[in-house]
Amino acid sequence: MNKTRISFADIIPFAVFIVIFLFFEIASGGKMLSPFNLSTILEQSLITIVVGCGVLFVVAQGSIDLSVGANLALSGVVATWAANAAGGVLLVPVALLVALIVGIVNGVIVSKFKVPSFMVTIAMLIGIRGIVNYIQTIIGTQYIPESMTVLREPYIRYPAFVLLVIVMFYLFEFTKIGQYSKAIGENESTAEFIGIPVPRMKIIAFALSGLMVGFGTLFSLTSVGGTSQMMGVFFEIKVAMAIFLGGVLVTGGTSTKLYKVLLGSFSITIIVNGLALIGLSETQYSQSVEGILLLLILYVTIIANKRKNRVRALPDELEKTDLKPDQIITSGS
Amino acid sequence: MSENILEIKGLNKYFGTTHANKNIDFSVKKGEIKGLIGENGSGKSTLLSQIAGLYPRDSGRMLLNGREYDPQSPIDANNCGISMVMQELGVVGTLPAGVNVFLGRTSQFTRNGIVNLKALNKAAAEQFAKWDLPKVPLNELTDGMMIETRKIIELARALSVDPQLLLLDEITQSLSMNNRNRLYDLLKRLKAMGRSVIVITHDVEELIQITDSITVLRDGAVVGEVLSAKTSPDEIKRMMVGREISGEYYRADMKPDYRNKVVLSVKNLLVENEIEDVSFDVHEGEILGLCGLSDSGIHAVGKAIYGLTRRSGGTVHLVAKGLDIKNSTMALKNNMAYVPKDRDNEALMINASILDNLSMPSLSELQGKFGYIAPRKTKRLASDMTKKLSIKCTDINQTVNTLSGGNKQKVNLGRWLAKDLKLLILDCPTRGVDVGVKAYIYSLMKELKKEGIAIILISDELPEVLGMADRLIVMKGGRVAGIIRRDEDFTEHSVIGVMI
Repeated sequence: MNKTRISFADIIPFAVFIVIFLFFEIASGGKMLSPFNLSTILEQSLITIVVGCGVLFVVAQGSIDLSVGANLALSGVVATWAANAAGGVLLVPVALLVALIVGIVNGVIVSKFKVPSFMVTIAMLIGIRGIVNYIQTIIGTQYIPESMTVLREPYIRYPAFVLLVIVMFYLFEFTKIGQYSKAIGENESTAEFIGIPVPRMKIIAFALSGLMVGFGTLFSLTSVGGTSQMMGVFFEIKVAMAIFLGGVLVTGGTSTKLYKVLLGSFSITIIVNGLALIGLSETQYSQSVEGILLLLILYVTIIANKRKNRVRALPDELEKTDLKPDQIITSGS
Repeated sequence: MSENILEIKGLNKYFGTTHANKNIDFSVKKGEIKGLIGENGSGKSTLLSQIAGLYPRDSGRMLLNGREYDPQSPIDANNCGISMVMQELGVVGTLPAGVNVFLGRTSQFTRNGIVNLKALNKAAAEQFAKWDLPKVPLNELTDGMMIETRKIIELARALSVDPQLLLLDEITQSLSMNNRNRLYDLLKRLKAMGRSVIVITHDVEELIQITDSITVLRDGAVVGEVLSAKTSPDEIKRMMVGREISGEYYRADMKPDYRNKVVLSVKNLLVENEIEDVSFDVHEGEILGLCGLSDSGIHAVGKAIYGLTRRSGGTVHLVAKGLDIKNSTMALKNNMAYVPKDRDNEALMINASILDNLSMPSLSELQGKFGYIAPRKTKRLASDMTKKLSIKCTDINQTVNTLSGGNKQKVNLGRWLAKDLKLLILDCPTRGVDVGVKAYIYSLMKELKKEGIAIILISDELPEVLGMADRLIVMKGGRVAGIIRRDEDFTEHSVIGVMI
């Protein structure tokens, strides 16, 4: 009785993943599955997944955080600057702190002033980009201190990644933070009427989103080696795309699951990676191909969700005809 | 009063494997007010929806004025002179009231793609005046409006078609007493004009009073038709359920019966433009009724106590804990519960599962170490509650919007019963549920009362508060107009006297 039914809409992202994987595996003549390429795919998905796990809390609430790309750049630039100026170890706390503060500011504005999150975070995106460019012109391109390159080592990098995903999985699926976030996405009035602290939950979600950007920054800085003007450009789109591609609804709610972030992130990476493998990425229209593919997949996903909704939209009277008159409860029972 | 305006012969409707309408024969005469009654899930709404062109029928014939009638859409039905006020469709919240009246028909006010709002609002106001409906701010968005106001806008929309046949699906339950009377007058007027109306309501007494004849449905089939003048509530109930319903479902005793200990003390509550200077105490094991006309502010009191609206003054003091409730989070933490009137929009997460809906208010109690909420605990809570309240479902993972009104309400109540409650605020708890579930809710209230839980019962139905409350607060214009005890002059007559 308690078995979870698997819906059609939940299967689609898996099917999409398998189809594009098989397609590129065959088209590239088996290059996809080479150990070297697999590690490339993991490396390219890593930051998207880490940040996606944070943004997921915001999306579950029916909001969106579009400032993560700019936040990534800001925390990267400031942390590298601080580390080079005042000691290598500062890289980690400064990156996390800056990213967290940006997240909290987002959350406070969204919840206290009741502004739609996409407007707030787009404004943040533009504003922060400006600050990043300004700092960059002062300090120029910088490299992370030598002492911090140890973070690049696989024995730190991958366990840290797995640990982060597990912690976020726990928070999202098994604690009040995750459950309340999903409730807010289902129906914000209901959440408020029950007594869920909606404003506080929004701030927490954006704070988590920011904090995970901080971790993403560290992964990014250590893999690239330093900062650049282009750091995090379009990254917010990639993260949002990964989440929605994985089958998360734009409206959030209880159908939001963390595994969908992983699925969507890998799907996106495989498209980019696969196009490169079959030699399409050198052509000028590779981005258009990428775009068309994403559009197709989203279309299929949305159709699947619509189907589900149509089944749901049947009238009130449906399930009750099996109720026999003698099952009616009268007073005293 | 002889010619049929609508005639239905051998109509069938299936939803998947469910046979929602079985071989329905049904007719409405010109100038007739027809009642349609049956339990939740007996196929009433389905039948009306087919007449209104919402979904096609699977087999059977419909004749309108003797001619074949086969509406393809609600607009199509409108053009044939049929319009409907639906049970839970509502209005578009992000559009102003005036536009909602002419929803889908704004083209008559459109020039070069621009809607002339002034002309539209004027036409809308004319409709309100023509049918003597209570005034509604036409320029305001319907989002913040009360259920009642939104229903009236829907009614205006249906009437603006100037229908020959008007279909009303459970509209009276959303209306307060004074507006109900207005609706009754409207029905009389339509009848005098030779128009026909089909009314669905769960209130048997009301139905007999306002209709000419009543058709009873059970399990999707017509079980009989009676003349309203020659029937009794008991006969109708018997036909609906298929057997005698025994026992009175309200309280039998006529004495207030509660403990001396005050649970919640409300002092000088003030919510701008809604309520003023409201003070009262609720005791352990007391059912405190709240009633009043539509602008009396009874619903605002419930929201204000649970900390959902910004209070401009006054205190809500929880005596046992010695603290003042300031917001809903505090209320939740301190063993209070609130069941809102608007079940689908405010109370339930309609697209989420029964499991999620039932467990959501109890998550704090279910938390283990490191905030861990074990899925087996939420599952147990949900299946226990589903069993205890006999919620009819195939699975606790089923989404709530697939449930009937009565079962939705059971989920709405059940999620609070899983908690260790001290105070329960019920705002119209029996709105849109059938006799069986209604009786169940009352027996549940009696049980909670026995356990010493304080209950604030806010209701638009006088018989309900009179039947259940120990003390009754009658409100008028946002103020307390009187408090009547159960052993005093506890009759509809005396209450209405205070109300008006």
